[in-house]
Amino acid sequence: MPDPATTQYFGLPGYVVLWILTLVAFYLFGIKVAYYVRTLGKARPEKRWDRIGERVGLVLTHVLGQRRLFNEPGIGIAHFLIFWAFVFYATSFFWNLVKGLVPILPIPYADDVGWMAFALEAFGVLALVGIVVAAVRRYILTPPRLERTYDATLILGLIALLLVTFLVGAAAKTRGAPGVYLWMWWAHMVTVLGFLAYLPYSKHMHLLAAPFGVFFSSLRPGAPPPASEGASRFEEFTWRELFSGLACAECGRCDRACPAFNSGFALSPKELVHKVKELVRAPGAGGKFLGEVVRPEEVWACTTCLSCMERCPVLNEHIPLVLEMRRHLVSQGEVETPLQQAMMNLNRYGNSFGQSPRARAKWTADLPFKIKDARKEPVEYLWVVGDYASYDPRVQTVTKATARVFQQAGLDFGILYEGEQNSGNDVRRTGEEGLFDVLRGKNLQAVAKARFEHVVTTDPHTYHALKNEYANGDGGWTGRNVLHSSELLERLLAEGKLSAHRRLDGVVTFHDPCYLGRYNGVYSPPRLVLNALGTKLREMPRNRRTAYCCGAGGGRIWMEDPPGVKERPAESRVREAAGLHGVNTLVVACPKDLVMFQDALKTTGLEGSLAVKDLIELVEEAAAPSERSDSHARA
Amino acid sequence: MNILVLLRMIPDVVEELEISNDGKTLDREFLRLIPNETDDHALEEALLLKERHGGKVTVVAPDAPELDDVLFACLAKGADRAVKISGVEPVMGGRAAARLMAQVLTTAPGLLPADLILTGVQSTEDLDGLMAPILSHLLQLPYVDNVTQVTADGPGKTVTAVKEFPSAVRAEFDVQLPAVLGIQAAEKPPRYVPVAKVRAVMKSQHLESAAAPAGVEAGQLEILQMAKPEPAEHAEMLAGDPAQVAGKICEILAARGVL
Repeated sequence: MPDPATTQYFGLPGYVVLWILTLVAFYLFGIKVAYYVRTLGKARPEKRWDRIGERVGLVLTHVLGQRRLFNEPGIGIAHFLIFWAFVFYATSFFWNLVKGLVPILPIPYADDVGWMAFALEAFGVLALVGIVVAAVRRYILTPPRLERTYDATLILGLIALLLVTFLVGAAAKTRGAPGVYLWMWWAHMVTVLGFLAYLPYSKHMHLLAAPFGVFFSSLRPGAPPPASEGASRFEEFTWRELFSGLACAECGRCDRACPAFNSGFALSPKELVHKVKELVRAPGAGGKFLGEVVRPEEVWACTTCLSCMERCPVLNEHIPLVLEMRRHLVSQGEVETPLQQAMMNLNRYGNSFGQSPRARAKWTADLPFKIKDARKEPVEYLWVVGDYASYDPRVQTVTKATARVFQQAGLDFGILYEGEQNSGNDVRRTGEEGLFDVLRGKNLQAVAKARFEHVVTTDPHTYHALKNEYANGDGGWTGRNVLHSSELLERLLAEGKLSAHRRLDGVVTFHDPCYLGRYNGVYSPPRLVLNALGTKLREMPRNRRTAYCCGAGGGRIWMEDPPGVKERPAESRVREAAGLHGVNTLVVACPKDLVMFQDALKTTGLEGSLAVKDLIELVEEAAAPSERSDSHARA
Repeated sequence: MNILVLLRMIPDVVEELEISNDGKTLDREFLRLIPNETDDHALEEALLLKERHGGKVTVVAPDAPELDDVLFACLAKGADRAVKISGVEPVMGGRAAARLMAQVLTTAPGLLPADLILTGVQSTEDLDGLMAPILSHLLQLPYVDNVTQVTADGPGKTVTAVKEFPSAVRAEFDVQLPAVLGIQAAEKPPRYVPVAKVRAVMKSQHLESAAAPAGVEAGQLEILQMAKPEPAEHAEMLAGDPAQVAGKICEILAARGVL
């Protein structure tokens, strides 16, 4: 076959033509990439160079392994094939480009090397299949939130073209058709150079940005952004927050998972990230970023459930964007009245209910025993009760059951009585960072003299804050083991301190609380407890990592739903549970879930067909009190 | 526009109130004092006026436990000065408060003259809403109460005050300045001030102090005794179907001479 680089075209040697095309393409590519680097350099700094090993691990898993793409298996496999074809074709392209620009180099072209040619042909065919799958998905079986943009069409076409030109060229070579081969060689190189030049201007920027986005992603997803007074315009965001815009491939997984979006709230996490991309492309264009481009109601709609970030294949960080903007709105006093009332109550009384701090432990009055005051005597387990469990009459029943179960298990436990305050987890998610500091400070002060070994709570929101954000700065409650009640119950059952005398034989389903599951990876303990009680667990279609939020998190429980909301998240969730064959109980492990789902049962008219129960209620039912003395006698 | 906002701390009824041993005062031990809600609205209205027309907002309050935090929050919201009147009883009725305020405003330097004096129309310590009218009388200034909106768009030294009457009747008053206005509600809910901003203000600004002048009369009314409300007889529940219940209601009303 003739060497395309040394063949003459209109009196010019091929390599000269290639030099011209390459310089043009690299220039177009280079100025845009340089622009992005320069622009992001003006954003707030954020340190993302720690724990390099873990970061490399993320790249292996999420870039080379494409792990999250498989959460939608069809397109996941297609994308995997296209991605790996890209790896080989990119290698081949640069290899051939070097050889083509400097033909005297004593190396063969990539496709003249046997194994490389094989890989290119094999992946070329597989990727073409992938392209067909992608095209069918985009144009015929379009999932919600995937758009049929001109850009997407162009990209699919370019990929198909560069694959076809290569494969036809390879065929021409084996069949001895030099003319066709030369045409295809040039068509392929021009397509790839065109692709390269177009890349940073298109949605395919993700191809370039995503590996960096993954490498620099948060090692503790959902952690609040670094200290700030919030962000409303370009320079106030950190570079990594803005980088999400460049890494986004607009696949729409976040929207499909988002409870706010699916309920018809103003927020679309995909749109939000897209707006950030536009902001990076042209800071200052399109009006005030927060206020005109992004409306406050979008920012307030988020429940911080972490579904978007959990689903995002390129590990983008939507929630820090939301929190930065909430911080800004709070700093400007732009807080809707019910939320403002909750904040004032938290500041004044230490609880969002606006009740007297002295009434916090009123629920203990009905108990047949006295709970130790952990401020006055040493205990093994410090039970941080939380607001809803302390003040909401519907949850108090469960709180009392918890106390009885702990007592029955012979646990040495105590509470802080009126010394306890709201942990501040949710108020932190509303952007009121200062109030979180106040609450954390008061709680740390309350336990300063208390002696205890472990911390336990029934509330996943409290659990998350105490476990991860309660040291000085971020980090756990120093030196203390923080447990969710489901973890403790599992341990007590395993150790025989609690036993299911009456095995429950019903079929139940379990709702994973966001701050227990996605935020802290606690999925097994509640399931092990249910198993130990003898119940049969039937999972909802959305379970564990994909569990659907009840809609209360991120301070949403204190805010009013905007008009025009379709199906509220909690309503969608109870319908999902009620739709399971044979299931009559929805088991929860979060005080807010209990309240949200009980309300949703009323609004959906499912009260007769489904019951919402806390895990602890089932434990108490199974560990029948009549046999308690026996179990104690045996122990 | 130079605006004074008078703020009072009142007992928080979220806590159960107890009467102290003298039988005349509230037990201070568990008493929590919070800013009077309508005073908070008065501050909001003042801040809105300042934002629209410029000027200065000064908050004046009799000293009380936890007042400092409240005054710093006022500064963080946008007030320019905060003055606490020291050497006074924290909780007082309307007449006493009016006399105290009148004395302080006229004697403490730098408070008067002011264009507007805004304060809440009433408080739990002053249910009749006497403080503002008595104060306006003592200062010889015009007074409008139950105000829900103040506009200062017109030329010259007047403002327009919207006053709410019962049965959703509203009236607009042209008020000659200086004047005292009793605020029922601000045009919009009082703004939120984030904790971080209050903390920053604590570092950068300071509270002023004005001593309560000696010999302020406590007022002509003296509290002789305080008592908790005693539970009366239990309500009578009317049982039966709607027709029976309606019949019984008619009987009761007839027996009391209403029908």
